[in-house]
Amino acid sequence: MEHFDVAIIGGGSAGLAALKQLSNLEKQAVLIEAGKTVGSKNVSGGILYSKKPKNGKVYNVEDVYGQEFVANAPLERLITKYILHATSKDKIFSIDLTSAHKYQANFGYSVLLNKLNSWFAKEATASAEKQGGGIIPGVHVKSITWKNDRTIVETNELDEFEVKAIIAADGVNSEIAEMTGARNKFTTEELYQGVKVVVKLPEEIMEQRFGIGPNEGAAHLFAGDITLNHIGGGFVYTNRDTLSAGAVYHYDSLIQKPDEPYVLVNAILNNPMVREFIKDEVAVKEDIDKGLPKEEQLRTRFAVSKLVKTWDDLRHSYYSPASRAKLIESGKYKSETEIKARIDSIHQELSDKYKAKFVTDYVELEYSAKLVPDGKRCRMKKPYNKNILFVGDAAGRGIFVGPRIEGLNVGVDDAVRAANAVARSIDRNNFTHSYLGEYYTRLVEDSPYTRDMKEIDKDYLKTFLDATKDVPKDIVGSRYGMIFRLMTSGTLRGLAVGFANILGYDRLLPIVESVETYVQVPVEIAEKAGTVVSSTYTPTIPTIAQRIAKLKYDDDNLSHIKVLHPKNEFMKKMVILCPTKCYSIENDDVILQHEGCIECGTCAKETEWRHPRGEKGINFQYG
Amino acid sequence: MTMITSEGSYRHLYVVIEHEEGKPIPVSLEMLGEARRLMDDFNKRYSSNEKVVAVLLGNNVRKLCEELLFYGADAVIYAESPELQYSRNLIDTKIISEIAINKECVAKISPDYVERFKKPRYMFFAADNIGRHLSSTVLVELESGLASDINKLVIEDLEIKHEHKTKGQAMTYAKTLEMYRPDFSGFLWTTILCLDNRNPAIEREYHPQACSIIPGVFQPLMRDSTRSGIIVEHVPKLEEQDLNVKILSRKIIKSAVDFDTSKAIISFGRGIKDLPEENIKLIEELAKELDAEIGISLPISKKPYIASETITSKYMVPDRVIGTSGRRVSPLLYIAIGISGAMQHIAGMKESEFVIAINPDENSPIKDECDLFIKGRMEDVIPILIEELRKQKLVMEVRK
Amino acid sequence: MGKKRKGTMVSLNTAVIIKLEPDFSEGNVSYNSDGTLNRAETKSILGPHSAVASKAAFYSKVKVGARISVGTMGPPIADYALQQAQLICDADELHLYSDRIFAGADTLATAEVLKTGINKMEGGKMDIVFSGHRASDGETGQTGPQTAWKLGYTFLGNVIDYDIDLEKRVVIAKRLITLQGFYDIIEEVEAPLPVFITIDPSYKAVFNTVSQRLAFVKYQKEANERAQNYKKYLKVFNAQQLGVDPKFVGLPGSPTIVYKVEKIPKAKASRKAEVVDASDREQIRKVVMRMNEILGGMVIK
Repeated sequence: MEHFDVAIIGGGSAGLAALKQLSNLEKQAVLIEAGKTVGSKNVSGGILYSKKPKNGKVYNVEDVYGQEFVANAPLERLITKYILHATSKDKIFSIDLTSAHKYQANFGYSVLLNKLNSWFAKEATASAEKQGGGIIPGVHVKSITWKNDRTIVETNELDEFEVKAIIAADGVNSEIAEMTGARNKFTTEELYQGVKVVVKLPEEIMEQRFGIGPNEGAAHLFAGDITLNHIGGGFVYTNRDTLSAGAVYHYDSLIQKPDEPYVLVNAILNNPMVREFIKDEVAVKEDIDKGLPKEEQLRTRFAVSKLVKTWDDLRHSYYSPASRAKLIESGKYKSETEIKARIDSIHQELSDKYKAKFVTDYVELEYSAKLVPDGKRCRMKKPYNKNILFVGDAAGRGIFVGPRIEGLNVGVDDAVRAANAVARSIDRNNFTHSYLGEYYTRLVEDSPYTRDMKEIDKDYLKTFLDATKDVPKDIVGSRYGMIFRLMTSGTLRGLAVGFANILGYDRLLPIVESVETYVQVPVEIAEKAGTVVSSTYTPTIPTIAQRIAKLKYDDDNLSHIKVLHPKNEFMKKMVILCPTKCYSIENDDVILQHEGCIECGTCAKETEWRHPRGEKGINFQYG
Repeated sequence: MTMITSEGSYRHLYVVIEHEEGKPIPVSLEMLGEARRLMDDFNKRYSSNEKVVAVLLGNNVRKLCEELLFYGADAVIYAESPELQYSRNLIDTKIISEIAINKECVAKISPDYVERFKKPRYMFFAADNIGRHLSSTVLVELESGLASDINKLVIEDLEIKHEHKTKGQAMTYAKTLEMYRPDFSGFLWTTILCLDNRNPAIEREYHPQACSIIPGVFQPLMRDSTRSGIIVEHVPKLEEQDLNVKILSRKIIKSAVDFDTSKAIISFGRGIKDLPEENIKLIEELAKELDAEIGISLPISKKPYIASETITSKYMVPDRVIGTSGRRVSPLLYIAIGISGAMQHIAGMKESEFVIAINPDENSPIKDECDLFIKGRMEDVIPILIEELRKQKLVMEVRK
Repeated sequence: MGKKRKGTMVSLNTAVIIKLEPDFSEGNVSYNSDGTLNRAETKSILGPHSAVASKAAFYSKVKVGARISVGTMGPPIADYALQQAQLICDADELHLYSDRIFAGADTLATAEVLKTGINKMEGGKMDIVFSGHRASDGETGQTGPQTAWKLGYTFLGNVIDYDIDLEKRVVIAKRLITLQGFYDIIEEVEAPLPVFITIDPSYKAVFNTVSQRLAFVKYQKEANERAQNYKKYLKVFNAQQLGVDPKFVGLPGSPTIVYKVEKIPKAKASRKAEVVDASDREQIRKVVMRMNEILGGMVIK
């Protein structure tokens, strides 16, 4: 049997960081990823943060990949504007929370995970290879067994092999956690369901619309009626030439009042402010005259498709300084004016010759969903099992504090700690739980991120409250009266927070994370103090069938999920809550059609849930 | 220029036989049938007495030799040995080549032609897995030319003017075998000739004129047990280094696709191209209604269109090809969808009882090979058929 | 496995012979209105069977660190096919045999050129030579076995899977044999090196250990880098450099010639078809009734 020092399971940002860190420490590690390529199964909201806490230290991406990280990695935009909007119908009250976003942060960049993780993988592979390790995509881990002191990894695709330690970075639905009994599956109270779409928008049009420069980005958050009475919020982030638009909801809230995820994301898209954010000029092809001869019809169809594509591509290139420059460099066009002229002439040809129409609408590229663990509620207190260390979402360590949602950076921080712990064990050849697992647990407890999952940070609170100074006090005060007065007073705040932390998050959470806080208060604020935002067009929102049709899969004829309780209430709700409608009811039983599964794990709680076999299943293009 | 000096050196048509479990493979008998017809005509036309000689290698194949005579061979040259139980290219090539130049055998078969005999005039092989490779190596050993996958043969005296072969002069090549091979689209015939170089600069004789023959094209003769002929044994030289390939195991595998037990077969071709994934799914539904197996035309096996992994790996595979390079089927009902009707596909399904074609083009060749031609696009026709089938199924159930 | 071996001795010399062919995939291939191929408008690429042969050769590099040489006989633009092959199999050496006098060669004359070229490949005698099942255009499938015979190598055709035992210096291969009118057979054979393998189009290289997968990634990366500078690995031979006898190559060395090309005449119609228009619902109903009749259902009045 072959043997290696470390196996890292899961090629998301955390797993990759673990691989890179272990290579930095000159240790051999092999990373196993089920997707066809690294990044093909990753989804993020998403913003990647790098933090500099006042007390303590976290490991950021630059610490792992080097200080040139920002210059070299395919990051989208540096978020310089972070605004929360309270919504009620067409009224919006905006609160600038940029200071809260910048709190103890080096930076926050919008990211698209397929691209970013591919880059991480390239970097990590280069280092890992030098240590005799690397990344193996297209392999799905089937089981981990311990035999006489040997740890054996079994997969669907490879001969089994032996390792000394394992870092489990396989996400919120961690199969490793479940198979080895490390923890229970997360409950609906402990999870959030996130849904999003990636929208296409030309660079410079985006910059003008969002009031940002070429090296800047904006993050817009939404709370109020936009969430259809669910606890959670919407978001729109600017990427380089796309937008990430979506929402994150308390899973529990969805269980109580099930709404289809695509309906929820559509509610975000239909908000007048968001409508105005996402709009662009879109060509609409006219129906071809059926009276024409067959060949003529075909030729016209191809000609129009080609022209529309050319117009669209050229237009996008025109609005991107980098692409513009490349076009001129290639010699195809002599100047920007020439490019614009060509765009206009194609526009003309399409309308005059082919009767195509140009309307205001938006262009959706990809629909996706994922579950996010709420670290406050479900982080693993002892994130290990024997010689397996759990990191990131697999350990339930997502940060949710009001508008602050962070997962990527936490995963990276965990990964470095895990890598350090494993390296130490390799040096001493000691992988016992006291030397490895417990040590790692201590390292993780020390992390400022863990502190954020345990207690309220009064300085963050102050920053947040200062930002909300324009919010009509009476609305908030009427509800949270005493608490509010305590929080706004500088001196009392310290005491109050201390007291609150003694009480514990879990006692406070029901008050803080409630429909009142997330829906009713913002609605009232918007009604009372908001301004009307109107949108003059109605976006053509794709049906769920169209959204699924656009996704790319490698179908496996075997179903990777087994329905255990076809008649119970939870499964019946899955018919509504599965983002890609994989569940339906036939003769009172809930049945599964696994081909459309995007592996979010919404149904994981009551099913035998696994990822598909290696290379099979969803392949996200953006992530 | 010099006249044919090779006259007399090259005689007879040798047919290399393939067999399994003591029985000849169908194409072997088909080759004998065509060989018989060609040589009967040849002998009449040229007033000669050349033979159809079957060549047979194997273990315990003496009995099979007689069968070959009953199917048209004038003579059989066989080599027997336990080492020849299963086909192995190296040893088979050596022995067949030995047989091809063995004058002693010719002496027994056709004494009047033995004196100047060098090699066979013509040679046939089967165009199947084994035959294609065997013919290639034998013809290198015999230093002559080979045309593969032939489905039409004509022996003719030809007037040839060729830059290299005849240095541009017009010359007559008598008794030349015209070997016709269809191209992969099934619409073009390329005729190959194997000709001596009569250009003095590169003078060479090229015999036998050899070809490998597509199974299912020619008709075997009716078995005639009154036919007689000469059976000659060739004792093979079995040298250690030629027997170096060890056969470790042989497993019979059933094809995943079972056409033979299907009452109905639906095939599709390039007509799916506008919406390959959707069209194939429609066809799947129709097949379900009819409990039919699904086949494809040859071009589809080359995966020319993009579809999901499941669909591509299930359908766009050689195993499902119906035609001369694939399977031959004869179901009760055959439905050809989006298939134009290339000859090699027709050859694969012409034995079907009732043939329906669905095609928007009334001029496609398939119209002459079907009993019912539904003019229309598959995406329009199939849904209606499915609906009708379901309706009538309900009616039938009610009646039961 | 894990750390780099010092002073790696080449354990195996592998060669692949490939061909530049027209691209027959939809969207790239052009057909004339009568259904025949339009050669002039169709691009040229590494033939799909040659690509499979390259993948098979790559397996030997991943498994035992074999040295790989790729050769082709063709016009100067055939170096594109060599580059594509290098991308697949991380070739260490590329050979292009190109000379006007090679033109018009049939398979025997081609095999003569290839045999001579293979014997000039570096690293010593080739242990395994791979070729594709057949070319998409010529489709004779003859060149491989003929080259094998000229080299004097044991020939194994229709190989769907193979492995190498370096100690015994043998190849163990699985072959797929279709016996027309009978059944299909998977035959497992063992043959001593050197061998010539013609790979079946259904071949899929399977790498099923961690170290093989890692080696795969490593060599693929190397292949990408090399293919960018493929000219560095390329050797071009004309007839003289190759040292072939002009009488045995090209048209002069070809026993066979193409005599003519014609359209296959439409065979006499063997059936008389009734034509039904798809839009006629009543007709369709009758068609379905007929179908049910044929399949043995009840005859509906």
